[in-house]
Amino acid sequence: MAIDNSGGATFGLQLWILTKRLLIRVIRRPYTELPTVLISAFFLFVYVGQLDKVFGGSAMPSSIDFSKGNFVNFILPFSIVSASISGASSGINLVEDIESGVFRRYQAMPISRWAVILAPMLVGAVRVFFQSGLILSLGILIGASPATGPIGFLAILGIAFLWGMGFAGYSVAAGIRSGSAQGAQAATFLFFPALFIAPTFVPREALSGWLSSAAAFNPTTYVIEAMRGIMIDGWISESILKGVIASGLFALITLTFAVIAARKVTEKN
Amino acid sequence: MFAVEAIKLAKTFQTRQGPVKAVRNVSFAVAPGEIFGILGPNGAGKSTTILMLTTLLRSTTGSAKILGLDVDKDDAAVRNKIGVALQETGIDEVLTGKELVQSTGRLWGLSQSKASERSAELLSLVGLTDAADRRVKTYSGGMKRRLDLALSLIHQPQILFLDEPTTGLDPGSRRVLWNEIIRLRNEGVTIILTTQYLEEADALADRIAIIDNGVVELEGTPDALKASIGGDVILFSFETKEIAKRAGDSITNSEVTGRELRTTVNNGPQSIPNLFSILQANNIEAVAVSSSRPTLDDVFLKVTGHKLEAVKVHENDDLGNHGGV
Ligand SMILES: Nc1ncnc2c1ncn2[C@@H]1O[C@H](COP(=O)(O)OP(=O)(O)O)[C@@H](O)[C@H]1O
Ligand SMILES: [Mg+2]
Repeated sequence: MAIDNSGGATFGLQLWILTKRLLIRVIRRPYTELPTVLISAFFLFVYVGQLDKVFGGSAMPSSIDFSKGNFVNFILPFSIVSASISGASSGINLVEDIESGVFRRYQAMPISRWAVILAPMLVGAVRVFFQSGLILSLGILIGASPATGPIGFLAILGIAFLWGMGFAGYSVAAGIRSGSAQGAQAATFLFFPALFIAPTFVPREALSGWLSSAAAFNPTTYVIEAMRGIMIDGWISESILKGVIASGLFALITLTFAVIAARKVTEKN
Repeated sequence: MFAVEAIKLAKTFQTRQGPVKAVRNVSFAVAPGEIFGILGPNGAGKSTTILMLTTLLRSTTGSAKILGLDVDKDDAAVRNKIGVALQETGIDEVLTGKELVQSTGRLWGLSQSKASERSAELLSLVGLTDAADRRVKTYSGGMKRRLDLALSLIHQPQILFLDEPTTGLDPGSRRVLWNEIIRLRNEGVTIILTTQYLEEADALADRIAIIDNGVVELEGTPDALKASIGGDVILFSFETKEIAKRAGDSITNSEVTGRELRTTVNNGPQSIPNLFSILQANNIEAVAVSSSRPTLDDVFLKVTGHKLEAVKVHENDDLGNHGGV
């Protein structure tokens, strides 16, 4: 009887163990990841197929050349951002843990609530990271070539990671608040306005009316613009900074909301 | 100091349909090293009581102490001293048994090597060594219960709470868990377990609290509870009806039916020699004698006014995997 368990594990170790467990779960159920990859790839091909000639400046004389002749470069960030919907699985996973009693088991152990919430968010970010990598590779196959070279791809993946974490946090918060997998699922409807009240198919200057003003409040806007800058214009620090801040802030806010929601659930009432 | 002390615990849940009084009045004290059984039917308030004692639920009124520590004020300290296996097992079924025990050990602060050592030790203890590398999804109900027990023991708790550890298990799996619980008690662990089964409370518990409708109705050793019914039943058999009748005349407060005589005494084993000498003095020879105690069934019926009907679910359990205990 000589185990010193007075402190439990450090926060970093807690986070790593909880994250590892969720990652193992993803790896052992890989087929659940398939739909979002397919959707993102579908978006990429369909938009390139439909809009390349209009915006890509390749065929029509009336084309608008904001993509500097490579529409794949322009639309690829949108495909990547759309992969963030896979972050929603994080919320569903967490609800499963609440329903199965895993959450309560954690409650009986010396584990930080922040680690319990942050772990599925990190796993969401990893999901989005890998899915984005896949989409990027597809993009290269069909002609994407970033102004910033291969390092640019890494930068884009980094932003995708942060953004995925935020979206995962959002779904985790929604799952805890609603207490059901359906709730977590239903809350992802916000994904669509987030994706389309933004400079999705054209630059922000081309948006008009309310959409133009609303897009300014959508963090997705800055994420897409940062990635587009890297793809088309090179290292433009201002837009990259804005993208990082927008996705980082979003992740921080959703994390805080999720922890507050978790505190309510575990308030022992 | 008591290992566990519940003082007028009560819990009312607020629901959309109105308040639900899950626990109304639960008081008891458990001495270190005891197995304390909380016996009651489905819905009696056993799980709610366990949740309050293990810091996972706040009581509406009343208080509880674990080794002198208040479960509300010192909850973190309390959690370090107790192990909990709740009724819902809370196990991630995609992982293997070994992965689960190891990672839980690490979360309790064990080093990598200590965690794998402890995991191997615990898994062998509960007879899951052969299944250690299989995903929990493939485990039977009894195996999951035993894994849950292993998980609750990782940090070597002094006090163990087991909420219906054998409900739904077949007799074989139940026996394995019983043996493990007794072994732990012999190592000095205090155990609080809830059950719907009279035989289980009778076989395992040093003392029992009978709970019904959120109230502890009676508490004591199984023998004391049975004794509260009013002593033992002594049964004599004789060669003939006539002899039985003569015996009935010499022993006061007795009933004769056919060749048998029945009498109730405070303490059977102590009274039998006395009764024999009375018979001998009257030159009466008995063929057989037995002393039997009232069962917990009788006790439960007397204090609650109804019989204890345990939920009788028997999962298909894989008996082939119980080796090693
Ligand atoms: N979270 C809850 N909300 C509302 N009612 C509850 C809750 N938990 C338990 N109850 C009710 O309280 C009573 C006691 O439940 P419980 O403690 O689970 O009993 P037992 O474990 O003895 O079967 C039951 O009527 C149950 O429906
Ligand atoms: Mg129960």
